[in-house]
Amino acid sequence: MVDFKVLGQSLPRIDALEKVTGRSTYTGDVYLPGMLMCKLLVSERSHARIVSIDTSLAERLPGVRCVITGKDFPDVYFGSGALMDRRIMARDEVFYIGEPVAAVAADDETIAQEAVELIRVEYQDLDNVVEPLQALEPGASLVHPDLTSFTGFGFAMGGNNCTMLDADRGDVDAAFQQADRIFEETYHSQAISQGFLEPMACVAHQEANGRLTIWASTQGPYQVRAQLASVLDISLSSIKVIAMEMGGGFGAKLRLALEGFPALLAIKTGRPVKLVSTREEVFTLNGPRLATNIYLKTGVMDAGRIVAREAYSVFDVGAYMGAGPNAGVGHALGPYSIPNFRLRSFGVYTNKIYVGSYRASGVADMTFAVESHMDSIAHGIGIDPLELRIQNAIKQGDTTATGARLPRNGLMDTLMAVKEKLGLPKKMEGGRGVGIALAEWRSGSGPSTASISVNEDGTISLLTGSVDISGSDTSLAQIAAESLGVTLDQVIVAKRDTDMAPFTGPSGGSRIVYSQGKAVEMAAEDAREKLYAVAAERLGVPAGALACGDGRVYVQDNPPQGLTLSQVARQSLTYRGGPIIGLASLSSMAFAPVFATQGAEVLVDRETGHVKVTRYVQAQDVGVAINPMGVEGQLEGGAVQGIGRALSEEILIDPDTGRVRNPSLSTYLMPLALDMPEIETVLVSVPSEDGPFGARAVAEPPGFGPPAAIANAIYDAVGVRIKTLPLSAERVLAALQGQTGDEARMDVDLLRQAEAS
Amino acid sequence: MKRPLQLTVNDELRQVLVEPYFSLLDALRDELQLTGTKKGCDEGDCGACTVLLDGKPVTSCLVLAHSAHDSHVTTVEGLATREGLHPVQQAFVDCGGLQCGFCTPGLIMATVGLLNREPNPTLEEVKYAIGGNLCRCTGYSKVLDAIMTAAGDINGAKDQKE
Repeated sequence: MVDFKVLGQSLPRIDALEKVTGRSTYTGDVYLPGMLMCKLLVSERSHARIVSIDTSLAERLPGVRCVITGKDFPDVYFGSGALMDRRIMARDEVFYIGEPVAAVAADDETIAQEAVELIRVEYQDLDNVVEPLQALEPGASLVHPDLTSFTGFGFAMGGNNCTMLDADRGDVDAAFQQADRIFEETYHSQAISQGFLEPMACVAHQEANGRLTIWASTQGPYQVRAQLASVLDISLSSIKVIAMEMGGGFGAKLRLALEGFPALLAIKTGRPVKLVSTREEVFTLNGPRLATNIYLKTGVMDAGRIVAREAYSVFDVGAYMGAGPNAGVGHALGPYSIPNFRLRSFGVYTNKIYVGSYRASGVADMTFAVESHMDSIAHGIGIDPLELRIQNAIKQGDTTATGARLPRNGLMDTLMAVKEKLGLPKKMEGGRGVGIALAEWRSGSGPSTASISVNEDGTISLLTGSVDISGSDTSLAQIAAESLGVTLDQVIVAKRDTDMAPFTGPSGGSRIVYSQGKAVEMAAEDAREKLYAVAAERLGVPAGALACGDGRVYVQDNPPQGLTLSQVARQSLTYRGGPIIGLASLSSMAFAPVFATQGAEVLVDRETGHVKVTRYVQAQDVGVAINPMGVEGQLEGGAVQGIGRALSEEILIDPDTGRVRNPSLSTYLMPLALDMPEIETVLVSVPSEDGPFGARAVAEPPGFGPPAAIANAIYDAVGVRIKTLPLSAERVLAALQGQTGDEARMDVDLLRQAEAS
Repeated sequence: MKRPLQLTVNDELRQVLVEPYFSLLDALRDELQLTGTKKGCDEGDCGACTVLLDGKPVTSCLVLAHSAHDSHVTTVEGLATREGLHPVQQAFVDCGGLQCGFCTPGLIMATVGLLNREPNPTLEEVKYAIGGNLCRCTGYSKVLDAIMTAAGDINGAKDQKE
C-alpha cells in the first residue's frame, strides 16, 4: 500500500469555515441593486384547456413591472429526459395541478404575490387520469394524445406509455418450466421528495451586452445553460450560469427547474429578477420520485439456485417523462447471477407533477422489491436469506445485465462484514427481528475536465466545472494535493461558472469523485510532467529522475537536491514551455461496480404496528476512501434517507385530481435526530481498476437497502410481509390483523399483450 | 407601511424600517443583510432559521419582527470572534457535522442555545434540542458527534479556568 500524505485522511471540508459562519452564498443570498422579485401562478386544474388569461388587473397594480404567460416564450418543446414533451410554461393546456401558468416580477415579493392573485384564468376541463395502472388500460384518457409526434419518441408503445426499457437473456420460459419452484410477487413503492433543505432558487440578470447571467442552485450548470437556451430560443453562448453553493440536490437539481421564469422577466424588464420557491412549490413544481409497481417472477431450484427472473415494472412519470424509469430496469436482477431473464420497465403518463431524479432513481424502488423478494424465496424454500444471497451473488468475471463483465469488487466482503457485525444467522425474540439487503450501483462516468495551475508561491489552483456535492470539492482537492505533493490548504478550488470552467457533466449519479477525480488526477500528472521538465533543466538531471513531495521537486536518489514548487513555478514564467498548467479531459471510464450490504434490527409493537429501527449496520465497497470522514457522512446520510423512505415518507397524491395533499415539512415526514438509531458503517476497500487512486463511487447505494432490510426484519420479527412502502404502523398493524387489501396488484398480462401488439 | 424597529443584533444596536408583517427572519435577511440565517420552509418546520432571541433558540420565521423590538438577537454571524470560531462551530468543522451547509447555521444556533441552558447535556437531551432541525445530508450521526464534542470542549475549558 502506498503511503498517502493527504489522501485517506479525514480532513475537514475546505468550505467548512464559510458554512459554519454563515458566509457561504446560496442563490437566495444574492441581492442585487434594483432587483425585482418573482412569483408564479400555477394551475389549479388537473387537465384543462386554457381558454383565456387576463393579466390586466395584475399589470395595473403599483409596483408590478412585468407579467408573463406561456405565450411570451418561444413556441418550443424541451425535455427533461429523452423525450421532448414539455413546455417551460403552460401554453394552451395544463397537464397537472401545480404547472406554472404565469409569472410576475414586482418591486417586492408581497406585491408579486398580490399580482399573482389578480390574474384571471379561464379553463375548460378535460378528462384526466391519475393512477398509472388505470392509465395503461385500453380506453384510458390520454394525457398527451400527440405523444407519437414528440421528438425522441421511439421507445414507447403509445397510449399513455412514453417509454419502455428492456433487457433479455437466455430462454426464460424454458427455465421457468425446469425450475422446482416459482415465486411471484408484486411490490409497490411510494412517491417521495428529495427533501433538500434549500428551496429551488434563481437570480437572472441581462448584462449591458445582452448576455444573461444566471445565479443558480443547480447540480448541472451546463445542463441549465443548454436547456435555458433552448426554451428562450437564444444561443447557448449568450448565457452564463454561476453555480452557487447548493443546499442539497440529491438529483432534484440536475436540470432546468425554474430558471426560465426569472430569465425571461429579466430580459423584459432589464432588471435583475429573483425567484425563490416556497416549500410548497418544492413539492408541487419540481419533479419528485413517483410511485412504482414492480412485478417479479422467479424460478428457483430446490437447492437455492435461481434460474430465471421475469420483471415487469410500471413507473408513474406524471405529466412529462422527466427522469422516467431511469436506471431501474437492469436492477430487477439485483446483484445476482441469473442466467435467464426478461426485464421490462414502462413509463406511464398521468395528470400529476412530472417525475424527477432522486439518488439513483428507479434503482431504489427496484432494490426494495428485489431484496424483499429474495427473503420471500429464502423462506419459501427453507434456506437462510443470507445463504441464498451468497449462493446466487454475482462474481468477478460474470456477465451483468448490461452484458459487461464484472470486474473485481468487494461484494462478498461487504456481506461478510455485516454478517459478522450482526452475528448472523440469529433468531431474535419478543417482537424483534433482523433483516439484510444488498445494493449495487456503478461508478458514474461522463464528460469530465480539470485544469491545474501551479502558482508562483507554490500553491495549486484547481478549476473544474463540477458543482460541489457532499464535499466533492474537498475530495478533488485532496486528489490534486496528493498527486503534486502539497498540503490540502495549498490547493485553491475555484468557484466556477460556465464561462470560465471547461464543460463538465452534472454532479449526479455518484460520478464526481470517480470520473471528475480521475480528470483531476490526470491533470495533476500533466502538471507534474511540466514541473519536471523545468526542474530537470535547472538541476541538470533527467526528468525521469525527479519526484514530487513536501512542496518540492527533488532528485529521487538524492532528495536534498531539488527545488521548491514556488521556485519551479517562477522559473516556468520565463521557460520556453511557459507557465505550468496541467489539463485533462475524458468522457467515459471503465465500469466500476459499487456493492453494499445493509442490515437492520427492528422492534415491532404488535399493539400498534409501530416499527422502531434499533440498530442499523452497513458495509460498502468504496474502493479507496479519499476522505473517510466525508465518505462515512455520505453513507450515514444516505442510510437515513433510506430509513425515512422505508418508514415515514410519502407524498400523498389525490387519486382524482393528482393534487399533492401534503406539500409541507410538517406533513411530509423526514427523519429527525430523535428517530434515528446509531448508523454503524464499515468501509470495505477493494480498489477499482480505473478510479483515482482506486476510488469508487459512494453516494447512491446507502439509500437503496433500508426499505428491504427493514421489511425483511419486520417479517423476521412478526411474520408479516409488507410489500407496499412506506412500512407504516397502519400497514404493519393491518397485516398483523390478517388484512392484505393494501397489497399492490398489477395486470401483467395487459403489459405482455401491449408489448406484443 | 414600514415602521421603525430597534433591536440588538450580535451585540450591535440596529435601527431599521421594517414592514409590520415581516418575520424576524425576513428582517434579518432583507433589511439587515444577515443572510447566514436560512429560509428553508418559512413555516417553522425545518429549523434552518433558528436564532437566539434573548438567549433562547427560536425559529425566526415564526417571530414577527416587531415583536422582537428592543430584544437581543444572536445569529450565526455573531458567534465567531477575532480570536477564532465558537467551540460549537469548531466542533462542527472538526467532526464533519455539515455537508451542504444549509441547515448548519440553524443547527449551530440550536446547539448554542442548548449549551447556554444545559452545558452538560445527555445524548438524548441533544436529540430533543435539535428535534426541530431537519438535516437531509448527514443522517445526524456526525452532527450529534459535533454537539457532544462541543459540550465536552466547553466544559473542559471551564474546568481549566476553575
